[in-house]
Amino acid sequence: MLDFFTIFSKGGIVLWCFQGAGVTESFAGPVNALIRSVILQERSGNTSFNHEALSLKYKLDNEFELIFVVGFQKILTLTYVDKFIDDVQLHFRDRYKNELEQRGALKLLNNSYEFEDDFNMLLRQAEESSKARSPVPMRSFKESEKSQKTVKSMIETKGGDKGKEPGGKKNKNTKKEGMYKPAVFTPEIDILNGLLSRASVQKVPLSFCSKSPKPQKPREKQMRVWDMGGNSTKELDYSYKNDLQSNGEQMEEVNTDLVRNLPQLEMTSESVTKISTKKGGSFGGMFGMLKGLVGSKSLTFEDMEPVLDKMKDHLIAKNVAAEIASQLCDSVAKKLEGKVMGTFTTVASTVKQALQESLVQILQPKRRVDILRDVMEAQRLQRPFVITFCGVNGVGKSTNLAKISFWLIENGFRVLIAACDTFRAGAVEQLRTHQRRLNSLHPPEQHGGRSAVQLYEKGYGKDAAGIAMEAINYARNQAFDVVLVDTAGRMQDNAPLMTALAKLIAVNMPDLVLFVGEALVGNEAVDQLVKFNQALADHSMSDKPRLIDGIVLTKFDTIDDKVGAAISMTYITGQPIVFVGTGQTYNDLRSLNARAVVSALMKA
Amino acid sequence: IEADSTGSSMEEKPDVEMAENPFEPYIEPLRRQLENQEPVFLIGVIVALAVVISSCVFLKYFLSSKTVRSAVLLVGLCDSGKTLLFCRLLSGKFKRTQTSITDSSAPYKAKSDRGSTWTLIDLPGHESLRSQYLEKFKSTARAIVFVVDSAIFQKEVRDVAEFLYDLLTDIVISRNAPAIIVACNKQDITMAKSAKLIQQQLEKELNTLRVTRSAALSSQDGSIGGSMYLGKKGKDFEFGQLSMKVEFVECSARGSKSEDGDAELERLEKCLAKL
Repeated sequence: MLDFFTIFSKGGIVLWCFQGAGVTESFAGPVNALIRSVILQERSGNTSFNHEALSLKYKLDNEFELIFVVGFQKILTLTYVDKFIDDVQLHFRDRYKNELEQRGALKLLNNSYEFEDDFNMLLRQAEESSKARSPVPMRSFKESEKSQKTVKSMIETKGGDKGKEPGGKKNKNTKKEGMYKPAVFTPEIDILNGLLSRASVQKVPLSFCSKSPKPQKPREKQMRVWDMGGNSTKELDYSYKNDLQSNGEQMEEVNTDLVRNLPQLEMTSESVTKISTKKGGSFGGMFGMLKGLVGSKSLTFEDMEPVLDKMKDHLIAKNVAAEIASQLCDSVAKKLEGKVMGTFTTVASTVKQALQESLVQILQPKRRVDILRDVMEAQRLQRPFVITFCGVNGVGKSTNLAKISFWLIENGFRVLIAACDTFRAGAVEQLRTHQRRLNSLHPPEQHGGRSAVQLYEKGYGKDAAGIAMEAINYARNQAFDVVLVDTAGRMQDNAPLMTALAKLIAVNMPDLVLFVGEALVGNEAVDQLVKFNQALADHSMSDKPRLIDGIVLTKFDTIDDKVGAAISMTYITGQPIVFVGTGQTYNDLRSLNARAVVSALMKA
Repeated sequence: IEADSTGSSMEEKPDVEMAENPFEPYIEPLRRQLENQEPVFLIGVIVALAVVISSCVFLKYFLSSKTVRSAVLLVGLCDSGKTLLFCRLLSGKFKRTQTSITDSSAPYKAKSDRGSTWTLIDLPGHESLRSQYLEKFKSTARAIVFVVDSAIFQKEVRDVAEFLYDLLTDIVISRNAPAIIVACNKQDITMAKSAKLIQQQLEKELNTLRVTRSAALSSQDGSIGGSMYLGKKGKDFEFGQLSMKVEFVECSARGSKSEDGDAELERLEKCLAKL
């Protein structure tokens, strides 16, 4: 039933693998896709991943640095897989504990891990246990409750009859509706995951939701019993007793309740240090603390939880979107669970170190970011390099477009600005002013008699996609190197405008689609990016829709160290931050330094 | 455990007191002598001791920072064959590999007369992990083996060149000047390019790259990375213009025969033996 099962080290060497009968394709591709999209993008919170027709589940063993991956066909719903992976992991660790504890990579190369027999046995056990829970046989009539009802209670009166039928119909309707509703509310992040993993957006039939249980008709009125009611009215008398002793008793009872609650609170907050510190004796306390510092201790989730909560709050305070922060912390917890800490390292420092590494990892671009080189490549192919700017209202698209064109003409390229913002009043005039200023800074004499920047506009109210297409053709004829397409700002919820943007991008196929986002945005960033990407994917005709390729982070000078928006945006899209805008003059354009941003983020 | 330790501490105290008693006659005159000395002298002695200890610690720290550079790093793009090369060099066996997400290191004994041993470190090639691991290990690098996938080199030439450019302009690496061996891997595939062709293509690409990269934007905190200019200005870039030695060798980690066949690593091993 399983397609494959592999055990490999984090360094990449496969220790043991199993390929199901009749499976000819190599599993290296899907497993690599799993590693690159889930583990390396810090989405380890959800442990299952779909790649084409396969569904992959994985488990990380952080103590010995191993990864266990199982793959099976997506259409099968195997219930035993989760428990199966856990069993295999425990079994493998126990059996090869000695070999795995050696240091260095030689242990992986020199030892052979013959795990076949154990694996087959565990698989058989898992399959049998799932079969054992066979469907329960139908009850016979005698066993059902209906046979125990009296005939009288089943006879319906006129009014009751009418009430029954529409109720029945309603039930059927809700059942039908329920079947096409998703069983679990899929958050937006999963939608984007689906988009990223497979380009074609298919309406996958959602799983049937569980049938809502039919409410049991009460056969007769039953006397309502209150929990605190007691049996007699005497117990309901809460008036003050004349007896002081009973008063005191009651008070004492209340007090002991409070006293009993308080220590529990203390314990949860002190779960980081060992429990031995609570027991008296300063000598014992110091000994316990030293023991916590020195020596190998493997991390458990309970140890990490308070530290992770604190880090999550810290990230949220630094303007990282809330769901991103919690997903990041889950992913870091998964990566560290079971890891053996070195000497003289506390839990807090290990977690902070791991979180810092994951943040740097997220901010590093996954592909080469070198616009000048790509422009040169397009020059060689004798076509213009087209960059499109999109984003919501007021983030700085036109300003940053002008800055980028300044940078490009400084490097000797000729730029055509396409004014596809045909809605906002003054948009075309704004770009014309920029064009004039740029031309005065770089007069045509310096560029061989031709002007460095030219504006292509067709006034207001026209179709933006058409203007863009004409601009690109004009650029090709006049041998411009770069075309910068400025679009109107639009809210992500505005469906007709999102359709228009998607049409512009699908029809013109620009080389680079840049999403302009301001650094001040908080949780909105997630919503904006998800909806923009979704609109672009939905309205494109081809199998491989053009999604957002890069991010321009603007107004970076207005935030001091609350740089969390950078993390939110790169985490959601997986695309790099190409430019950073730090002001309103032409020189205020920078590139992102991942380390500096992360250190500003982790600063207390 | 605490009860036992407290109990033992209680027992130790009378023992310590008992132990002190036989030393009493020796400590007494010492104590009297110390008391006779001026407090300034005592302070001077303590300060001298502190200085000696701290200078010892500092020396150790400084000596250890100039670590003997004894590591050979395997770097390259994703899927270029670094992990398989690592396995082959160490054990000669063929192992299936997946994308690495951490580094692996092991001691390697060179096949030369001298038989020097150094550490072979395989770094992950994925873009998000590359720079992190390079930062960690670049100061201990004595040689860097840059693995290139010769079969799909044409498609990846810009990415390969960018990585090589980052490597060559890195401050630490250009200061230490380790030997760089560009291993053109996957020669068993028929479409693989030769080492000479790869060298020429990379020179051309690096020629353009040094212009675009020096014109790149500075980062937002003002630091300008890689302000070094590769090679000589005015002339086309060639690897011979660099201060460090760059060699191009062909190899095949998989081997032209079946999976269990030997890899063709003789030239690479000869290069490594020369180190």
